[in-house]
Amino acid sequence: MEIDAKLGLDVFKLDKEPHIVVKNEICSTVCVNRACLYVCPADLYELDDQHRIVVNWEGCLECGTCLICCDARALEWTYPRGEFGVQYRMS
Amino acid sequence: MSVDVIVCVKTNPDLQMIRIKDRQPVLEAIPYKVGDLEKNALEAAMQLRDAAGGGTVTALTVAEGDRKVKETIKEALAMGADEAAIVSDPALVGADPAAVAQALAAAVKKIGTYDLLLFGEGSTDNYTGQVGARVAELLGLPQIGYARKISVTTDGVQCERSMDDMIETLAAPLPAVVTVVSEINEPRIPSLMNIMKAGKKPLQEWTPADLGLDAAALAPQRQIVSNLAEEQDRKHILFEGTAAEQADAFVNALLNEGVLGR
Amino acid sequence: MEKVDCIVVGGGLAGLSAAYGLASAGLEVMVLERGDYAGAKNVTGGRLYVSPIRELYPELWAEAPFERAVAREWITMMGDGAHTTFEVAADRFAGETPQSYTVLRARLDQWLAEKAGEKGAMVVPKMKVDELLRREGRVIGIRAGDDEIGADVTVIAEGVLGLLASGAGLRAEPAERDHAVGFKEVIELPPATIEDRWHLNPGEGAAHLFMGAVTKGMLGGGFLYTNKESISLGLVVGMAALKQDPDQGKCFSLLDEFKEMPQIRPLVAGGTVAEYSAHAIAEGGIAQVPRLYGDGYVLAGDTAGLSLNALVTVRGMDFAIASGYHAAQAVLAAKKAGDCSAAGLAGYEQSLRQSFVLKDLETARHIPRIIENPRLFTHYPQAVSRLLESVFTIGPQPSRRLVKTLWRGVRKDFLNVATLKDAWQMRKL
Repeated sequence: MEIDAKLGLDVFKLDKEPHIVVKNEICSTVCVNRACLYVCPADLYELDDQHRIVVNWEGCLECGTCLICCDARALEWTYPRGEFGVQYRMS
Repeated sequence: MSVDVIVCVKTNPDLQMIRIKDRQPVLEAIPYKVGDLEKNALEAAMQLRDAAGGGTVTALTVAEGDRKVKETIKEALAMGADEAAIVSDPALVGADPAAVAQALAAAVKKIGTYDLLLFGEGSTDNYTGQVGARVAELLGLPQIGYARKISVTTDGVQCERSMDDMIETLAAPLPAVVTVVSEINEPRIPSLMNIMKAGKKPLQEWTPADLGLDAAALAPQRQIVSNLAEEQDRKHILFEGTAAEQADAFVNALLNEGVLGR
Repeated sequence: MEKVDCIVVGGGLAGLSAAYGLASAGLEVMVLERGDYAGAKNVTGGRLYVSPIRELYPELWAEAPFERAVAREWITMMGDGAHTTFEVAADRFAGETPQSYTVLRARLDQWLAEKAGEKGAMVVPKMKVDELLRREGRVIGIRAGDDEIGADVTVIAEGVLGLLASGAGLRAEPAERDHAVGFKEVIELPPATIEDRWHLNPGEGAAHLFMGAVTKGMLGGGFLYTNKESISLGLVVGMAALKQDPDQGKCFSLLDEFKEMPQIRPLVAGGTVAEYSAHAIAEGGIAQVPRLYGDGYVLAGDTAGLSLNALVTVRGMDFAIASGYHAAQAVLAAKKAGDCSAAGLAGYEQSLRQSFVLKDLETARHIPRIIENPRLFTHYPQAVSRLLESVFTIGPQPSRRLVKTLWRGVRKDFLNVATLKDAWQMRKL
């Protein structure tokens, strides 16, 4: 099952502003492993055509794995505001 | 001047939270909330009150079934409504637009003083879009639908609405009924302090009898027989070849299906 | 500034348990939960061990919306080409007072929030706390948006990441070595199918853990819990191992590979995936438990690092509920004595030390480092399966005596320098 299809089963209430911001000036200078590209269980991180890291924060499960695994501290990471973000109905 | 506004609010299931199982919506344990368009109406009411420098915003709702209405209407109070009133009765479970309009009209009469009655253009669940117009008829008031801008002066209410290829401005004397569209504003999110205050604001509860209505007469005249998600057959056509070939084949398929070139 | 007796940050099991205790004693308590409802942001594997907490709020558990009482424990060790499953059933697992239940958090936490509300707690959902307010080192309340609310004591139960607590310097930031990521699917299946597949009487449940090939040698394992009308199927992988090993592919795809394994496919066949979720898990044990209280605050639940992965038993929710209970008792004592400073709240840590919470974590002190041994997730599941495979194999050549077959396997896979070293380490388990 595609990861996008799995995320499609979840409820996401979208804020206008992202709750995760990638500081690419740090990614491109300090980071050696780019762990965010493979540790995210929702597969939200990818490289754009200029090899910058972009995060599709809209599908965030708010687990914090990327934050904990980012040695370079290149993520500005907060929880979404109240009324927003993933809302689990079972889990 | 001051403006007194009654906002008629429907508590809806949070549609985003509904799962479909076996083509049916799973409504068990679904959270309820003030409908999105009603939030626009509340926001508009509060802006009118604040612009006028005084007045009262009352959130009025009819309890259509067990929708945790008392909890949900507090959302309206937390947004900034000054008072709330609920009409509830077992007979109103599954009430149809005609009955809801009767109950609302009677409650509005009971409240007595008001300049404006605001509604969302329709409810986000059943979306009949009838209730505002029906209440206006029952109370003999002028009605303006689909407002995207409202202003109130001592002369009356002026509304702007978008009619696809033109913008129409309408005016009516007060009191009047206005229904609003979502583009009218961005509803505020309740602050913690206002949520804390909401519990202390006046909340009236009436039965139809309190309003001089016969509950039995409000029983629904129509039943929802079934509510099924639409089933769609997929064609499962896979195009192969180069990108150009795939694009050609895709366009041809769309033409054959009559999707393009109509 | 508006003020209440007690603010609880986070409407999970720890926060709600604290709020229930505080409100029952008549304190003015406000719970701030950022989800649309309590449980909306929570994820469990999940199973709740009730036996350790049954006496804490004895009136509660009989009516709790649990899924199934766990009557059977299954463990599957997966190697290449062979796997071994143990199924353990004991009368005391279920019966009159079951020791554990499978749960789904959206249901369980909403119910506990209602219970706390009935006792007078004000549970405010959709409200994120942005900051802990401090004055001269003391936590004096919270800020949410533009509003500041004061409290004599703030119970910080914000979850495993502890963003507010670490932001205020009350605990360390979460480290990858001490954390795992769990991710799971809830898969709907008819109750009768669930009962057939795990050999259950109607209403009974099973817990099924998987070790070995599922995590490709990384610290962690697979889990499967049977709910009423669904199963929770997922993986837990240590973050340090996950990060170290980019060649293992993307983390999320492990779950799809897991579901496709021949041992798993028949278990999930015919099911419909209904939800996908993920959450971080503290697995550092007692060594990463921070100072649990200070002037004007206590830490509870995951924020306090109170969880334990002991390989075959995985716990956290019972610790959360117990820590919430003891936090409430400590806050009540502090309020009564009129001293909500660290000295006044010191009873919290004392009572946790006397309870199973810190005792069990102390007993398990060495586990987090022992299970960093990758052989646990590669060699041993493989070796056990290979040994038993040899016992059941009949080939063209004449068979050996059973004892000989066993001895050969044991000598080859279990009696060498590496395994003896492991055994020496594991004496601390």
